Amino acid sequence: MKRFLVVVVLLLVIGTVAYFVLNRKDPAAGTSPLIVGAPTNADPVARGEYLARAADCIACHTVPETGKPFAGGLPFKLPFGTIYSSNITADVETGIGAWSDDDFVRAVREGVRKDGKHLYPAFPYTAYTQLSRADVLAIKAYLFTLPKVRQPERPNDLGFPFNQRWAMGFWNAAFFRSQRFENDPSRTPQWNAGAYLAGPLGHCAECHTPRNLGFGLKHSQALAGAELQGWRAWNITSNETHGIGKWSDEALTQYLRTGHADGHASAMGPMGEAVAHSLQFLKPEDTAALVTWLRTVPAREGTDPVVVDPAPKAVVASNAAAPGGDVDGENADGKRLFEGACASCHQWNGVGQQTPYAGLAGTRGVNDPKGANVTQAILHGVTMRIGDTDVYMPAFGHGYSDPEVAALANFVIGHFGGKQGEVTAADVAKRRDL
Amino acid sequence: MVTLRVNGEDRQADVPPDMPLLWVLRDVIGLTGTKFGCGIAQCGACTVHIDGQPIRSCQMPVSAVGNRAVTTIEAIGLTPEGAKVQQAWLAVDVVQCGYCQSGQIMSAAALLARTPNPTDRDIDTAMAGNICRCGTYVRIREAIKQAATGQPQGLQVVVDGSAA
Repeated sequence: MKRFLVVVVLLLVIGTVAYFVLNRKDPAAGTSPLIVGAPTNADPVARGEYLARAADCIACHTVPETGKPFAGGLPFKLPFGTIYSSNITADVETGIGAWSDDDFVRAVREGVRKDGKHLYPAFPYTAYTQLSRADVLAIKAYLFTLPKVRQPERPNDLGFPFNQRWAMGFWNAAFFRSQRFENDPSRTPQWNAGAYLAGPLGHCAECHTPRNLGFGLKHSQALAGAELQGWRAWNITSNETHGIGKWSDEALTQYLRTGHADGHASAMGPMGEAVAHSLQFLKPEDTAALVTWLRTVPAREGTDPVVVDPAPKAVVASNAAAPGGDVDGENADGKRLFEGACASCHQWNGVGQQTPYAGLAGTRGVNDPKGANVTQAILHGVTMRIGDTDVYMPAFGHGYSDPEVAALANFVIGHFGGKQGEVTAADVAKRRDL
Repeated sequence: MVTLRVNGEDRQADVPPDMPLLWVLRDVIGLTGTKFGCGIAQCGACTVHIDGQPIRSCQMPVSAVGNRAVTTIEAIGLTPEGAKVQQAWLAVDVVQCGYCQSGQIMSAAALLARTPNPTDRDIDTAMAGNICRCGTYVRIREAIKQAATGQPQGLQVVVDGSAA
């Protein structure tokens, strides 16, 4: 009995020590590499605006079309409940107006808010922890110049035990390390800038890296692609078949700056937001830095790898206005829907008119037999503003039934991807609720 | 300021780059033959040609037109296919309320320009994006065939005395 007690006490001591060691805070202020759009000698507010864009704060902290930027309230539906983003305007009562510099830095880099409670890692402090103190405070300086919005926090809708914020301390012990960005002297300054833009600022991995059972990032599969909120974030490693290894620098640059790369991809869903709110505003030098860094991401295959068919037979046999090469009777319902609702913009040969964003051929979306992003696009449409133009596709979710959306998706996959689509009406029904 | 080549003439318009071509045609240039229907490229009423290709002008930002030639319903009768389509439309008396018809004629003329002798299926495919709430689809198909062959297709009206 005595022995047993000793073991229990020992385990408790070891556990407590481990908890605190694993939760220890990196005391360093940290430095950032040279970001062309945010030079260190610039006005902190201007720097902060650029950095806040590069970190894409607005996408999560704003409910679209409310005219209340940074006032929070955007829902995040997660497998264990829904959480809402917080108000980060300088309103004293409902926002962060009463927060000191140290409060703000601790929240951004350690995931602990002013009242000492843990934030959930839907807020990517896991990436922001690498930011330099100067950069975090520049973002704060910028946020404090914006209109204060009085909007009380919306309570999260989480069941036990997920509503216990203190428990995130254990999650942090397992999956979070407080640490600042380390400049890699063996790489060029441009590469380091790219690494800083993609990691601490742009937090690409939060969507593009798959997660483990505990919802921590699977670092062994970094950037090999994942699914979130119903959309597939594609493999962006340098894998030539499944990733972006075969894209030219020009194509990558075009995609990051405009959300479209001819014959490769058009951004939509969460990536559309990333381009619309963040990436399109980077200085060309910073986009180039991102491309330089992306090129060095080790190739990985990822799960459910997608192979793009560069010349599916139906695309080759079609012209802009008339279809060819489809097997008679196959996906006939989907084809009829495409004919009436889609062909006038997307065209049968996958090139697209009205806007190049409507080009379907060569995209990973139409080459994914599970049709995740094709289905999402049909259901929810696309709306994003790039430069001085709106990129728009109507949402068909209200107009079409689940079997119709499934039939249409499978036709699109068959015609433009040369593959047998596997979308079922049940899949579509599930996606409507995401 | 954008310059558009519309129906063979250069037209200047002082409009924002993201204004849809349809707005520029109707509200700025004053060519009101092209109609606004759904506004989301789903009904076909706003169809015009750009370099001979039918496009939905309600969803085409004017900045995307460039120096390509825009043809609208006002000038489609000057093309051989457009003239044939319009004659057949009259002979078959396709039109009921007429709202969708400029779009229908633009799509039909583009079809005949690339497929002079379309099958029923060609017609259905090419015209599927043009919706007619009056349901004139049967007459549309007949008129396209008549325009293609020059032969009456059995749905003639005798009002104008031109039909056999």
